[in-house]
Amino acid sequence: MQPILEIRDAVRVFKTPEGGAVRALDGVNLDVDANEFVTLLGPSGCGKTTLLRAIAGFEDLDDGQVRVDGADLRRVPAFRRPVNTVFQSYALFSHMSVARNVAYALEVAGVGKDERTRRAGELLELVGLEGMETRKPSQLSGGQKQRVALARALISQPKILLLDEPLSALDRQLRQQMQVELKNLQDEVGVSFVFVTHDQEEALTMSDRIVVMCDGRIEQTGTPREIYRKPKSRFVANFIGETNMIKVTFDGKGTATSVEGIILKVSEAAPAGRATAVLRPSDLTLSDSKNAPAHAILGKVRQEIYLGAELHYLIEADAGGEYWRVTAKDEGVGFHTGQSVALSYDPDVIHLIEGDA
Amino acid sequence: MWGPPDMKRFLKPGWLLLTFYSLIFFSFIYLPLAVIIIYSFNSNPMDMTSWQSFTLDWYRGLFGLAEVGPSLGTSAIYVESTDQLLKALRNSLIVATTTTIISTTIGTATAIAMTRFRFRLRNAYQGLMMMPMMMPDIVLGIGLLIFFVTLGFKLSLLTIIIGHCTFLSSYVFIVVQARMAALDPALEEASADLGANEWVTFKKVLMPQLMPGIVGGAMLAFIISMDDLVITYFIAGTDSTTLPMFIFSMLRRGVKPEINAIATLIILASLIIAVIGLYLRTRQVE
Ligand SMILES: Nc1ncnc2c1ncn2[C@@H]1O[C@H](COP(=O)(O)OP(=O)(O)O)[C@@H](O)[C@H]1O
Ligand SMILES: [Mg+2]
Repeated sequence: MQPILEIRDAVRVFKTPEGGAVRALDGVNLDVDANEFVTLLGPSGCGKTTLLRAIAGFEDLDDGQVRVDGADLRRVPAFRRPVNTVFQSYALFSHMSVARNVAYALEVAGVGKDERTRRAGELLELVGLEGMETRKPSQLSGGQKQRVALARALISQPKILLLDEPLSALDRQLRQQMQVELKNLQDEVGVSFVFVTHDQEEALTMSDRIVVMCDGRIEQTGTPREIYRKPKSRFVANFIGETNMIKVTFDGKGTATSVEGIILKVSEAAPAGRATAVLRPSDLTLSDSKNAPAHAILGKVRQEIYLGAELHYLIEADAGGEYWRVTAKDEGVGFHTGQSVALSYDPDVIHLIEGDA
Repeated sequence: MWGPPDMKRFLKPGWLLLTFYSLIFFSFIYLPLAVIIIYSFNSNPMDMTSWQSFTLDWYRGLFGLAEVGPSLGTSAIYVESTDQLLKALRNSLIVATTTTIISTTIGTATAIAMTRFRFRLRNAYQGLMMMPMMMPDIVLGIGLLIFFVTLGFKLSLLTIIIGHCTFLSSYVFIVVQARMAALDPALEEASADLGANEWVTFKKVLMPQLMPGIVGGAMLAFIISMDDLVITYFIAGTDSTTLPMFIFSMLRRGVKPEINAIATLIILASLIIAVIGLYLRTRQVE
């Protein structure tokens, strides 16, 4: 099946006022399938917005192509592109009612009044805002504005919906609720979503596929599990949640040895050589050093942080090196600072990133 | 949470001072206007400052409805002629209306272009747009006069209109630009995103969003054009006396009661314009 969106070797260079140049997009290749929820994830300034704007037609590419349904969009102005955008600032038209905002695309396309009213009603119902037709945007809460912006962008049945950090202005609780709603909405309307965020948790929650970007390039593309479990680079491992990264030498036969001499058992197949072992804090189990299991790492508790459902520990290995981060469930018994402990793990969960970096 | 109002708060020295200051401030602005309005109904033709009795004669006189002849030994004719007054008023209205339309169009278009497009010498251009506001009227007046004479223009209403447009365009520009700068650029992108071409976006999004600024700028242009004396004085032809010029020439032959009547009418007209303007502003954008 042909992807609905294809981006080929996209390059966009901005001149800085200081006379330099920023490669906001530096050879980006990306395919998005029909009905797919793809998230662009990366730190601020890595080119996410630029990529989205290039798809929408607000930004020209210096090189490369954007194709929707196989058609090159190079000379197609924004108002003729079959994609719609939900803006970070919502960008609702304050001089129009909610219903007129939602039906704007139809009004512009010359659809009759009755049809517009009917469709606007349907879309408002879809986003749970029935009965708000006559309100002005200024009379809505942040979450409601968000929904109006969604309804407005969906009314002309675009092939792709672009969303630029649409939830960043909402408070935490509302944001989590909207994450679920957005995902459900996407399933319901069957439109491909390209969603931009710098929040890894948000990306993991909602996406079919995550695209991790860094400095105008794509670092890795994959399902949330792949990105979380098998990061291809230290950057990705670091960006997606807390992690322990240990520089090791791998013998190619299941044993990795760190600089400090800590020995890790690894099930994953990888070529021998230098590598970085990635272990998530929740993959480590703490036990008393007196009954340490085989292959456990011995150390001392340096800090304990109580977070309600979870406990976070910083452990210093007896062999030295960086502190280990460990997350444990609060099961009544904790370990106290200074206590000798053993860290154990399942060799299946250790992931190796090849190379020196 | 509603308790009895805390009266003590209003008796604090700070509050008293503020109240006192506000009273002085508003008296300073509005007392002269009140005096003019009151005197315009004073029947004393010689000494306006002593009240005789209520009359509408000065108003009737303005419109040629009453013969306000020379009285009490003066030989002056109070209002040169009603015809002249009405002609001056008509001239002023023609100038102000035309100027408002032209300068609002130019000022608005420039403000949009300056905010949305980056081009070379943009800052220099912006500075040039501000210049006429800083320039003393008399310099502007002389400059325009020399300009028109050099180019062989016959001084007329047309030269007044051109002259007014040169500096009123910048007033409108500044007012509209302030509004434009505060506008979220994503609004226009959203409109384009939803299928509107530039013209439709202009009509349906940009114009309504800018309307408070445009109305404000247009009102300002109209009022300044109606009111301008110095610049107009230089570039008006013999046949194109405006209302301020007419009033000024009346004044040169002594302050007469009719002036109060004219002034009161102008105040009334300004109030009406201001009320309409405010109404339009509140209606356009919430
Ligand atoms: N219009 C512009 N002019 C100059 N530089 C820009 C412009 N837009 C973006 N940039 C630069 O391009 C880079 C990527 O920006 P952006 O795509 O907005 O990043 P993100 O959305 O991931 O935070 C940044 O370094 C930014 O400073
Ligand atoms: Mg961004």
